[in-house]
Amino acid sequence: MYEIRFHGRGGQGAVMAAQTIAEAAILEGKQAQAFPFFGAERRGAPVMAFARIDDKKICDKTQVYEPDMLVVMDESLLDIEPVAAGLKKGGCAVVNSKTAPSDLDLGIKVRCISVDATSIAIELLRAPIVNTSILGAMVRANDFVSLESVQRAIMNRFGEKLGEKAGRVNSDAAKAAYDRAREGTCRGERKIVKKNAWLPTWQETPPGVAIGKTEKAGMAVGPGSMSQNLTGTWGGANPVYDEQKCIKCQRCWFICPEGCVHRKDDDHVEFDLRYCKGCGLCAKVCAKEAITMRKKGASE
Amino acid sequence: MEKKMNIRTMPQEDHLLNGHGACAGCGVAVAVKNVMRILGENTTVYVPASCLLVSGGGMYPHSAFDVPFFYSAFENTGAVISGIKAGYRRQGKDVTVVGIAGDGGTFDIGLQALAGAAERNEDVIYICVDNEAYMNTGTQRSGSTPFGAWTTTTPVGKRVQGKRQFKKDLMSVVSSQDIAYAATLSIAHMNDFVQKVEKAKSKKGFRFLHIMTPCTSGWKSDPSMTYDLARMAVETGMWSLYEIEDGETRVTYRPNEMVPITEYLKLQGRFKHMSKEDIETLQGWICQKWNKRYCPAVPPLEKKEEELALNGDHCEGV
Repeated sequence: MYEIRFHGRGGQGAVMAAQTIAEAAILEGKQAQAFPFFGAERRGAPVMAFARIDDKKICDKTQVYEPDMLVVMDESLLDIEPVAAGLKKGGCAVVNSKTAPSDLDLGIKVRCISVDATSIAIELLRAPIVNTSILGAMVRANDFVSLESVQRAIMNRFGEKLGEKAGRVNSDAAKAAYDRAREGTCRGERKIVKKNAWLPTWQETPPGVAIGKTEKAGMAVGPGSMSQNLTGTWGGANPVYDEQKCIKCQRCWFICPEGCVHRKDDDHVEFDLRYCKGCGLCAKVCAKEAITMRKKGASE
Repeated sequence: MEKKMNIRTMPQEDHLLNGHGACAGCGVAVAVKNVMRILGENTTVYVPASCLLVSGGGMYPHSAFDVPFFYSAFENTGAVISGIKAGYRRQGKDVTVVGIAGDGGTFDIGLQALAGAAERNEDVIYICVDNEAYMNTGTQRSGSTPFGAWTTTTPVGKRVQGKRQFKKDLMSVVSSQDIAYAATLSIAHMNDFVQKVEKAKSKKGFRFLHIMTPCTSGWKSDPSMTYDLARMAVETGMWSLYEIEDGETRVTYRPNEMVPITEYLKLQGRFKHMSKEDIETLQGWICQKWNKRYCPAVPPLEKKEEELALNGDHCEGV
């Protein structure tokens, strides 16, 4: 049985990628399954999807904990999620990155394929939706399915939903990624720390399952405990504030959905970038253009 | 007279804390965050199944509200907040109880519990955050979805494109009961928003706030357009701002000139398939609403007198 785990961000198409690779395997007469991680996360949040491929019937219905192949659709996830947790020793990893595989640090030394899927997607699809390009790189990493069947699966899946032209462009993206992918071995210096999660056992469950503000297993639980999620990693841009232009109208403070805008004592504002998802609403409501959005990684 | 509250003088302490899981540019998060700032810490929140529940309230054992938070089944927001208030009354505590439901949980599923609570005139605040479809489960049509909009259950096909029915007029359903206060709010009209929430907080009895909250993923719009969408909705007449107090309707903001609906539709992906005839149908419906809302017809006095005279009720001068 060949198991694949996808790590992406909401909106990148991780679920679609898992379904397409499963369909490609089915087209070759194999058995396959694909399903997402069911969570409450939204666009931009780290998400997971899983796929299993086998020659015989698959009875396993659990999530993939020890994948043969790991697919990372956004390089920044390496820093915030334990993506390589459970990856098999002889497995391989596919990472969407501009850097060469030998410069990537996954925390485990395995065969690694890096491909700049974002550039390919923007070039061919004119949108940073990387799922189809990453499929091409996956075939390059391991030929458990052929590129032809992946392209056929893309045509079936995307062509049906978005029209034949969209299907063809997406299958071209897979081919381009197959050709441009770079092979190598990644480094294993990073320490993989598994996230701990706490749920009360039935003996611990309080009446009415009500929980007060407290700490369990090293993390805050109860009212207000969600502020330990630093959502600032979701976004692609950050606000830049020019205090000289500000007229202290507080419209940005009102409109920020995350509460990242703080009012100082003199009614100027400051930004808490740990939580900023980069929506750009503060820049939009500013009448004096005191706030501009800057893409992350762009120079000052 | 005391000066009205505005966004510069409103309370600053957050009670929907940061770190919640809503999409970037979420209109619901903007609305609820500011409502909670005004209601203050002496508040208990109830949220039924909705985006707000999974993103802000209840990924058990975590919660982004730092006030008591409660949730139960989808359809019973009105019933549960009535019960919570009754419990506090019994304990002798004066706590603001607020139920924040989505449009699905208000227009469709929760309507009977809402109508019951309104009829009993329970001393609670009911807030409907209206993003015009069941966004939490992936954009299914609700009673609030406007004419022509794409959803997964009103798909765009060759024969039928998008929803064929018009948006339900929920405010007239709710205000048909003599409730203490009802108002429509928009996150783009900030001072108006703050004043209405403050007014709702200060009153006793059943108070209903209906907030228009654009949704980036369901409306297929850019996250930074949330504010523009809320503003354009009011300017085009898709949404109007008014309050109903003691049976009297008062328009709180009146756009100078009606903006063509296409200006609002073109900002969103859910309307991009719309044909010319469909846009005309929608525009006609909006014009009707606009006239009803902003140009109340003066009752023709002479005719009335004439009728009264014919019926024999009018004695003087006949």
